[in-house]
Parts: sequence; structure tokens; C-alpha cells
Amino acid sequence: MTLRVLVVEDDQAIRSMLQSTLAVEGFEVQTAVSVSEARALLRHAPPDVVLLDLGLPDGDGSELVRDARQQTGIAVLVVTARHQESEKVKLLDAGADDYLTKPFSVGELLARIRVALRHRGTALSPAVTVYESDGLHVDLAARRVEARGLPVHLTPTEFELLARLVRSAGKVVTHRQLLADVWGPEFVDHTHYLRLYMGQLRAKIEQKPDEPRYLLTETGVGYRIAAA
Amino acid sequence: MNAVAPSGGPTDARKVRDAWVVCGLLAAATLVNLLLDRYVSVTSQAMIYVLAVVVASYTLGWLPSLFSAVAAVTLFNFFFIPPRYTFQVEAQENLFALFAMLAVALVISHLGTALRRETEAARMNERRARQLQELATDLAAATLPAEVHLLAQRHLGRAFPGPCVVALLDAHGNLQLQPEQESSYRDGMLACIREAATLGPGTGRWPGLHAWYLPLRAETHTGGAACVQNVSAYDHSGREHAQAICAQAGQALWRLKLSAGMHEAQEQSQWHRAQSTFLAAISHDFRTPLAAIMGAASSLQTQRDRLPPPQQERLLATILSESRHLATLTENTLQLGRLDHAGDLRMDWESVEEIVGSVLARVRQRDVAHRIQSRVPAALPLIKADPVLLAQLLENLLDNALKYSAELIELEVALKDHRIELAVHDRGDGIPAGEVLAIFEPYRRGDRSGQRGAGLGLAVCRAIARAHGGELSVHARPGGGSTFMLELPVDVAQPATESA
Repeated sequence: MTLRVLVVEDDQAIRSMLQSTLAVEGFEVQTAVSVSEARALLRHAPPDVVLLDLGLPDGDGSELVRDARQQTGIAVLVVTARHQESEKVKLLDAGADDYLTKPFSVGELLARIRVALRHRGTALSPAVTVYESDGLHVDLAARRVEARGLPVHLTPTEFELLARLVRSAGKVVTHRQLLADVWGPEFVDHTHYLRLYMGQLRAKIEQKPDEPRYLLTETGVGYRIAAA
Repeated sequence: MNAVAPSGGPTDARKVRDAWVVCGLLAAATLVNLLLDRYVSVTSQAMIYVLAVVVASYTLGWLPSLFSAVAAVTLFNFFFIPPRYTFQVEAQENLFALFAMLAVALVISHLGTALRRETEAARMNERRARQLQELATDLAAATLPAEVHLLAQRHLGRAFPGPCVVALLDAHGNLQLQPEQESSYRDGMLACIREAATLGPGTGRWPGLHAWYLPLRAETHTGGAACVQNVSAYDHSGREHAQAICAQAGQALWRLKLSAGMHEAQEQSQWHRAQSTFLAAISHDFRTPLAAIMGAASSLQTQRDRLPPPQQERLLATILSESRHLATLTENTLQLGRLDHAGDLRMDWESVEEIVGSVLARVRQRDVAHRIQSRVPAALPLIKADPVLLAQLLENLLDNALKYSAELIELEVALKDHRIELAVHDRGDGIPAGEVLAIFEPYRRGDRSGQRGAGLGLAVCRAIARAHGGELSVHARPGGGSTFMLELPVDVAQPATESA
């Protein structure tokens, strides 16, 4: 089955570049130049992935994210310029799957689409319980973590934090989502918890905590565990 | 207080005091005459009375002097002129003596009063001159119209007893009066501003008023108006003094207006100059990578079939790297503009280790040879920072180091007292001593080793450092190369680490 991508972008040059690039990769590409056009398309022919540009002329896109959320199995990737942190975090919190910062390379774009498609429908399929990547092994069911073949002892909070990232492996998880899921909704503003616990986690798991391989920082947005 | 009593009769207390002085003097003269009665002639006794009258006339006003003269003659007549103890005057000579005494009293009183008035006027003039001098000194130090307003009000209040009100004109030419003063002062003040002259008693304009209305005026500029209540038409020197105070205040207001205008014009022209330098530099910096991209892309478009594959690859790589350079440039330009209007920094508790990590992840793409080595100590305190800006700062520094040196680059983080130091050591050519300051200026890049710099890069870095209450400096390294040192303050009050 051909996977369908909806590109929502008002700039003609970027739109046609994305269209041809994705078509070459075997996707069926639809395009929309505005949020309203995209919503209409979403209803008629639901795509598998939506590439949503921030800063469209007719709206901020959060309604589109909400629409896409209501139809299971649609992944939403937000495309932003740098310095639009607050908007992109808002869309991620609203349910967008991931984001890309302009200017991005085609390689980056395809990698993000692959990760987003892998997670699509996680609500239906059994949740990810095992993470295995290049020397790091995490088994959520057995609560076991091994780095470079050696068992790692984690505190319950550290484990919860790692588990939350593992369940979305390869995808960015915003500060807010992490704080709400690990500590509880009343702690969504306590970003310093994250800084401290991520520091401790990296110290236990990473070989070189100041240049992490697994626990990646998305500056100003959140964290991501490297795609398995 | 140099308050000057308004013209008018002496107070009751003073009348009583004068009466006591007159009575005392005359009683003393009479007593002395009675004691000397046996030894001296009537002429000498008359002289004693004259002495008393002279003293009284000299020290008191004309009315008490006249009274003392009449009383002295009456007493002299009663006690010493035969027939004694009667008011009868016998000899013509004695009658003449009486009139002479009266005349002496009047002349002396007149002279004394005039002298006293002159002395008083001289003292008053001196006080006023001193006040004007003091006012001039105070006004010279004033930097705001409000200060001038306050000074004018205070000095008028010191010089005149009646209520004094000063009001300034605002930028739109409206008189700034307190609501409760509106009705009583507005018309008079506006009229004196319109006529550019003092109104009120003694000025020939609006003589029916009981107050002077004076414009605060210098040259052609009127900065406001003052009103001095309860004044007399005959107080010429008082009016001149009030006018002098108001003229000084007007001068000061004019000076402030001129210097404000000059300052504004200066800023405007400086801003324009900076703006055009900035634009010229920016367009240069943008044009260069654009030219490279266009050249490579058009060459690929027209000659692709004739170019050998490695050549094609090189052109594509040029397009990519030049685009990346343009992206950095755009980022820095935007950021500098944003930092100028500080306030939209998004400060939060951040970990330096984390920021270093995210920057290294990005920079490694340009550092294939793995020339950057980092040393970050464990368990550093958190800092309040905008992570995106700090990451940009660090990325700029590391990119520069990669560009300007071909050897190992060290990124070293250390905790010193209450600050975190991030140092980037390179082994490049170093920065000539004369250029150390210039490299932090937007678009003053030293043309080092023929490389293109990010133009704004270091200016943005320093602006970011300062927006965080920190500092960015550069030092020459022993053995060649430079160290860029970023110092960031660490909040002593770290956030609570206990989680629920």
C-alpha cells in the first residue's frame, strides 16, 4: 500500500521541492497551501502523515493537529523556523508527533517520517516494552537496564523517566509531557526536575554525559531517546 | 527666610513696643532733668529732651517721633519752664524753643527713617542677589523640567509671602495646573504667556489684579508661567526680583529643551549611520554565499552532462555548505535584532552539560575529524538561561574555532566561585592585540586567514552573554591561539531538588 503524505506549506518553492522529494521516495503526495484547505483534505482523503508548516496565513495549525488526532493513525510533523519554540511546543503538546527545524536536509525529513510512521497507531498495537540500541538495553516489563553489557541501577523516578522516553523512542517528548507523565500534571512547570534527573540518568547510562548518544536534548522543546 | 513684609501699617505689637520706648525715653529725660535741676540752666535741660527726641526719632517711625517731640515739649514746658507745673508759656523765647524742638524731631525722624529704609533696601537687595545666584546654581544642575518647576516654585515662595504658583507648558502647549488651581490661575497665566510680559499691579497691564502673572520666558521660548499673589503696585524691586526668578527658570527650561532636541537629533543620526553600516555589511555577507550557491547551481543546471561526477559532487557540497552558512548568518542577524529589544528571553533552569551536549551534536556534523574535545565536570549547578540563545552562542564559538584553526579545539567548563566558565581554546593565528575589542563589534571582522567570518557572530555572542548577566572575552593563549571565555553567573539559590 502506498503511504500518503499531506504537505501543508504556503511557500511554492518548498512545497514543490517536498512534493518531488517525497514522490521519489514512493509516497503519494497531496499538497495544501492553507490550514482550511488541509482540513478539507483531511476529511476527504485521510493521509498517513501530515507535514505542517508553522506560520500559515490562515491560522496556527493547532486545530489541524486536533482534527488529525481525532482520526487514529495520522502522524503530524510540524515544520518550523528556529525561534518558534513556543508555537512548536504548543503543537507538540496538542498532539503533534514531532518537528523539523528549517532549514532541514532531506535525510532528516525522511528519518523523522519513518519514526513517526513507526509510532503511528501505538494506541492500538501493544506498547513498546523493549529498547535496544547500540550498547543500551532497556526492558520495561522486567525493569532491567543494561549499558555496554553492565546492569545499571536506577531510582524509581529515573526509571519512569527513561521508560517514558523509551515508549516514544525516536520521537521528541516535550518537557510538559514528561513532567506530567512522570511527576504528575501539577509539576508541568518544574523543568528543573528534568534537568537534574536527566543529568543523573546520563551519568549512569552515557559513556560521555556531555556528549550523549542515547538521551538527546531538543533545546527549548524536550528530550528524545535516539531511534532504536 | 528672607520674607519681606508687605507694605502696610506696623503691627499692633510694634505699636505697643514703640509707645513703651517713647515713654521710657521721655521719663528718663525728665528724671535726669529733675535731678540736675539745681545745677544746670533751662537750656541744658532742653538739650537733654532734644537728645531723647533724637534717639526716639532715629530708631522709631515718623509718627512716634512726632509724638515724642510733642510730648517732650509738653513735659519740658510743664516741669521746667516758669511758671513751673503749668502748661502756660510765658516768654516768646520758650515758645520758639518748642517749635525748634518739634522741627528737630521731624527732621531727625525723617532722616532716620530714610536711612533705615535704605539700609533695609540694601540688605534686601543683597539677599535677593544671593537668592538669584543660588537659583542659577541650582538650575544649572537641573536636568528635568520638573526640577526647574520645583526650584522656581521654591524660590518664589521664599522671596514673597503671598501664595506663589508655577505651571509649565507641556509638549502640546497645554498649561499643567493642578485641578484645584485651574480656575483661579489659568486665564492670567495664559494671558501673560500670550503677551510675553508681566501682568498685574504696577505693570500697566491688568493693574486691577492683586497678583503678578509672569511668563517663564527666554529668547522666543516660553516654558510656563508663574503667579505671585498679594503684591503691591509700588514694590518695583520686588517685581523685578520676581521677573528675574522667572527669567532664570525660563532660561533653564529653554536650555533643557534645546539639549533634549540636540540629543534626539544626535541619536537619530547615530542610529541612521549604524543602520546603514549594518545593512551594507549584511548585504555583503549575504551576497557572498549567495553568489557561490548561484554559481554552483547554474553550473550544474547548464553543464551537468559535461561535468565529471566528482566535480558535480563538489558543486553540490558547495551549495549545501554555503546554504548552511547563510542559515547561520540569518540566525545571527535576527538574534542581534532581537537582543536589542531584550525582554523576550525565555529564562528557565538549564543544565550547562545539556546545552553543551546539544551543541556538540550539531557541530559534530561539521567536525568530521573530531577535533573538538570537551571537558565538562559532573554535577554542575543549574543556571537561569535561555537555552536556545546559549546554544547559539556556543555554536558560534565552536564554528569559529573550527574555521580559524586546523588543530585540536578544547571546550572546557569549570565552576569558579559563583560562576560557570566555558572556555573554547584554539590554536589558530590568534587575534592581533589591536583587534581584540573590534571583533566583538557587529561587522568589524578582522580578515583573518582569508576565511569568511559570520560577521555578526561574536557581536551576537557577547550580546547573549550580557543578556544573561555574564561576559564573553578573548585572551591570547601561551603557545599561540586564542581562548574565548564565557562567564555566566550561578544563582546561589538553586531550585528545590526534592520531588514529590
